[in-house]
Amino acid sequence: MTAQARTGGYRLGVDIGGTFTDIVVIDAHGTVFSKKLLSTPHDYSEGIEAGVRDLLAELGVPAGDIVEFVHATTVATNTIIERKGARVALVTTEGFRDVLEIARFRTPRLYDIRYRKHDPLVSRELRFEVAGRLGADGEEVSPLDEAALDGIAEAIRTSGVESVAVTFINAHVDPRHEARAAALLRERLPGLMITASSELVPQQGEYERTSTTVVNAYLRPIVTAYVRSLQRRLDHMGITAPLMIMQSSGGIAPAALVADQPITIIESGPAAGVLGSARLSRHLDLGDVLVFDMGGTTAKATLTEAGDYTVSPETEVGGGPMLGARMVRGAGYPVQVPTIDIAEVGAGGGSLAANDGAGGLLVGPRSAGSTPGPIAYRRGGTQPTVTDANLVLGYLNPGVLVGGELTLDTDAARRAFGDLAASLRLEATETAEGVHRIANATMLRAIRSVSSEKGRDPSQFTLLAIGGNGPVHACSLAEDAGMDKVVIPPVAGLFSALGMLFADVEHQLVASFYRRFDETRGSDLAEATAGLVARGRDLLATQGFAGAAQDIRVLVDVKYAGQTAPLTVELDAGPAAFEGATPAVAADPVFAEIAEKFHALHDQTFGYASPQEPLQFVALRAICRGVPEAPRMPGQCLRGNEKVPPAIDREAHFAGHGWHRAQVLGRAALPDAAGDWRPGPIIVEEYDTTCVIPPGWEARRDGWNNIHARRVG
Amino acid sequence: MTEINPIRRELLKNALVTIADNALVMVTRTARTANVKNSMDFSSAICTAAGALAAQGMAVPVHLGVVMPALKGCMDHFGADIAEGDVLASNDPYSGCSHLNDIFTFKPIHVDGRRVAFVSLVLHHTDLGGRVAGGNAADSQEIWEEGLRIPPVKLRDAGRENAAVFGIIASNSRVPDRVIGDLRAQLAALDEAGREVEAIARRMGADAFDAYLADLIRHAEELTRGAIAALPDGSVEFEEWNDDDGAGHGPIRLHCRLTKRGDEVEVDYSGTQDDTGGAVHCNWEFAVSCTYAALRTVLPEEVPNNAGLYRPIKVIGRPGSFVSVQYPAAVGSRGQIGFRLRSIVLGALARLLPGRMPACAGGSEFAIVASGVQKTAEGASRRFLHLEFHNNTGLGGGPDADGQDAGPYCIGNLANVPVELIESENPIRVERYAFIPDSGGDGQYRGALGLRRDYRFLTDGVRVQVRSDRYTSRPWGIFGGGPGAGGRLVANPGTAREEALSSKFIRGFGAGDVLSVTMAAAGGYGPAEQRDRAAIEADIRQGKMTPAHAARVYGYRAEASDPEQAA
Repeated sequence: MTAQARTGGYRLGVDIGGTFTDIVVIDAHGTVFSKKLLSTPHDYSEGIEAGVRDLLAELGVPAGDIVEFVHATTVATNTIIERKGARVALVTTEGFRDVLEIARFRTPRLYDIRYRKHDPLVSRELRFEVAGRLGADGEEVSPLDEAALDGIAEAIRTSGVESVAVTFINAHVDPRHEARAAALLRERLPGLMITASSELVPQQGEYERTSTTVVNAYLRPIVTAYVRSLQRRLDHMGITAPLMIMQSSGGIAPAALVADQPITIIESGPAAGVLGSARLSRHLDLGDVLVFDMGGTTAKATLTEAGDYTVSPETEVGGGPMLGARMVRGAGYPVQVPTIDIAEVGAGGGSLAANDGAGGLLVGPRSAGSTPGPIAYRRGGTQPTVTDANLVLGYLNPGVLVGGELTLDTDAARRAFGDLAASLRLEATETAEGVHRIANATMLRAIRSVSSEKGRDPSQFTLLAIGGNGPVHACSLAEDAGMDKVVIPPVAGLFSALGMLFADVEHQLVASFYRRFDETRGSDLAEATAGLVARGRDLLATQGFAGAAQDIRVLVDVKYAGQTAPLTVELDAGPAAFEGATPAVAADPVFAEIAEKFHALHDQTFGYASPQEPLQFVALRAICRGVPEAPRMPGQCLRGNEKVPPAIDREAHFAGHGWHRAQVLGRAALPDAAGDWRPGPIIVEEYDTTCVIPPGWEARRDGWNNIHARRVG
Repeated sequence: MTEINPIRRELLKNALVTIADNALVMVTRTARTANVKNSMDFSSAICTAAGALAAQGMAVPVHLGVVMPALKGCMDHFGADIAEGDVLASNDPYSGCSHLNDIFTFKPIHVDGRRVAFVSLVLHHTDLGGRVAGGNAADSQEIWEEGLRIPPVKLRDAGRENAAVFGIIASNSRVPDRVIGDLRAQLAALDEAGREVEAIARRMGADAFDAYLADLIRHAEELTRGAIAALPDGSVEFEEWNDDDGAGHGPIRLHCRLTKRGDEVEVDYSGTQDDTGGAVHCNWEFAVSCTYAALRTVLPEEVPNNAGLYRPIKVIGRPGSFVSVQYPAAVGSRGQIGFRLRSIVLGALARLLPGRMPACAGGSEFAIVASGVQKTAEGASRRFLHLEFHNNTGLGGGPDADGQDAGPYCIGNLANVPVELIESENPIRVERYAFIPDSGGDGQYRGALGLRRDYRFLTDGVRVQVRSDRYTSRPWGIFGGGPGAGGRLVANPGTAREEALSSKFIRGFGAGDVLSVTMAAAGGYGPAEQRDRAAIEADIRQGKMTPAHAARVYGYRAEASDPEQAA
């Protein structure tokens, strides 16, 4: 069985978050059925089996009719956060075993003298050094001490280690020492999983590359076991579709491959939401879109342009969201792996509101999380949250959590806002509105950080809102950001589970290529690229994609010599760009293409270009995609099996408009004829979220079943 | 009179900090120099029309108080001659700036012809001339030795670029492309921040914008006073030493008396000795800024960084002392004394607030500039310039845990430079980067270990300038804890040509020569005999402490039944 999905039948997406497991099934006509249940952290696959069985039983769909099973999971991230990974040993170059622990000295908290970075994932006694050194050009300075590896292997064998990381200085330039050491260790330690840095996505930076390799080694036994357990359950249920897993870069890959390289799935769930949004944006021709995903504890923002998103070469895991952390890194473990560029801030429905002691209103960064949660949830919360504010403002159904079993205590939320308001000498409603808008201001920082980094003005963008709380805040946030257009897709609250079904099989490969432009031969560049492309073709071939079904893009990271951050330019001709490469230095036409594109992109991004300055290659990239036989996205997306409470109009309060009677309805009640817009205030209640359309906005539904909202006047 | 609504104020505060932070994100992305990103040696701010700090986005704590005096220098110079479309700039330590590498830029923001704010961006530039590359020689005596001094000037005059100033800067730098590139990045970010501030002020109206900025400052002052009032009253002293002044005199005594009364704090440096020359001392504006940054560590995180935070803090010193040097003293290496000022203020706080503060952090405030000419593979020659700061090593011990080895210590939030980056861009090979066992200050909670970093030069004629300290004045322990091991510099260790070097030097190195750098460890907390046995064993297991040291200092003996333990 290959990864090529069959057409027809039912496709199934499962997204596991820390609290909930979301399951979405979509049939051949684009009808979506969903289920949300509590996750089972002791063994997440247990919850998946239970949920999938229930949903299939409810729908009367036999397991054999499932033609595709795609999964996004937090298992990698949770393993890091809870420190439940494998016992790992590190083998590295003599003189550098402390690199992993020394790290980079960055603190994300400038004045906190109690701040401590995470302890290293490999303790010092399990970090081994071996003599042998390559220089920065790959030349051998001293030979690898192969004999010493015998002793190291023996020490590792007796230490209870399950997984080994191998990272040598300058192995991103030439892996021969590192590869040899890994081969010798594999011979001597047959039962252990061995990860060498040069087998992942090797890039410059000994700490970052060591950390990447160690994180991979730390996760590998856990993710391997998880994938096996899940596969057993699928077999048991009679689901024969291949198990595919969402990667942080936006593509899906077979579970067995991911189990060996678990660093590729760290941002699995968020990537699924962005990927789905990007595909939808392209389908609807929305142009520039800000994908806004707001949940209970964090909010995320991602920029997509004409359906393309930015993939950054590095991420951090285990640091948690922190304002400014994108700039001042150091909160988590760095991992060099292509990851959709997502900005995250600690603002969500659970963010707490408080008086700062000097008559100021604070919202976050502290959060009530899912326990105790908002006051209205009656789980012991005593401090008002953003969700309580949304309830007081009338945005959320005052009786029950929509689609849920939980009855809400709106009166308690109102009382809490009364108390907070009195301490600030404000009105309760005004205070709730303030909390809603201050939360928006924090989330705006995420939006601004992704747009400023690209030098783009958010006011020209469409806001596409997903996540349980995204559609509640979408329009007011858009107003605060100066945006006029909002799109809320169907199943917005479970959109990651749906979005992953739009993803293609994809592998992102990177090779370090750190050379001055004017010292590089065309044939060397061609050779390095050809190696990368060949690896990508092999991978795709083993997954059933051959010939024209292999779509390979070639990209080059370039910077001005001395500059820190490279920019990535894509070669129009892909792998063919290197046909006829010559040994001449910087003379082949491809050099001119790269230079021209780099200067143009630099000018577009930063407002200037310096064509007279020397350029520096940094890395080569290949994005290798399996072209699907059938379109991944359905032509429409209607809702099946939805349970919502009866729609009853209610009073709601809107900034600048005061209290208004808002129409409460289901999505299907919105007009879907082109040009037929319904004026706000409207509240659309759904199984998984609530869409708030304020006065001054109007809304309609498109043929795909998205809600479009636009500002009028 | 505008009535202040706390929600609007909070929203404005958020908006301004977002603008300031985004200016820094933009500089980071666009700057030409690795140093800009690695050292994060820049900050952005929004000030009132009268020059009071209203919001700051920053990456380096020592910048907490530097913006206002530099802006005042420019405002004093230009007076009424500041117009829409101007960009003011200066790097002059005798007009309120801190050292020549930091070029401050200010853009006035106008609404309907009335000035409502200044946006500000300061950035450390790699090289502005002077007798040594990078400009931070510790042994300079006069400001003219340190490079290009830019008095308050207009980089732009009513929107028109002052090409002469750009030309002067370019022709005074060893790396003009990088410096002009970084300066353009700085201006682009300043313009963007300016546009956004102007849009907000226009939307709110100039009067309301003024009133809210003033109230942001008032509110920060109220929060600061509340936080100070919660600390115990008292008056404590602390003294510390710098090994030398960079020009051969030393040790240098630094002293402060910290008095906390009610909701105010006074820090008095009058007991600090007189200036002796060299370039590691600082001007008064920088001393005050470092004091704010040190005191900020005991204030809650939610206190906004603006002029209101300064108001309850009084800093006193003597002109002509080591922390308030007079024209025309050189100040290029003033960062080092910034570390020592922070050290004595935190030391004083440790005495005022027992059980709350750790012992002294580790680090030798190490800075290296290595420059020369290297041959490329094609036989061409290329100049190289490697600039690296490695100021800290780890955290001081206590009050309730060991100092974290290589724990980030914030005053300059500097990253170390990747070995592989150094090697790919310079004829230098780094041969070791490692903890030094037994080096952490002993105690119930030991200090973080010192670090060793060895550089081998691969070409002849490399000119190396090093600035470091903590050879003799070791990072202090407290409440019975011992000091961390000191710093040390050695050329060609373990060879016939081994040579001990001073903590600050400029000299040549040839192909094959090694410079071995030992960076000081952090101080310990509490008496060694109270150290937990399991902590000693963990250190031995990890090779961070030798059994011999454990026996000698802690009286530790491995259990007879467990002979492996001592191995």
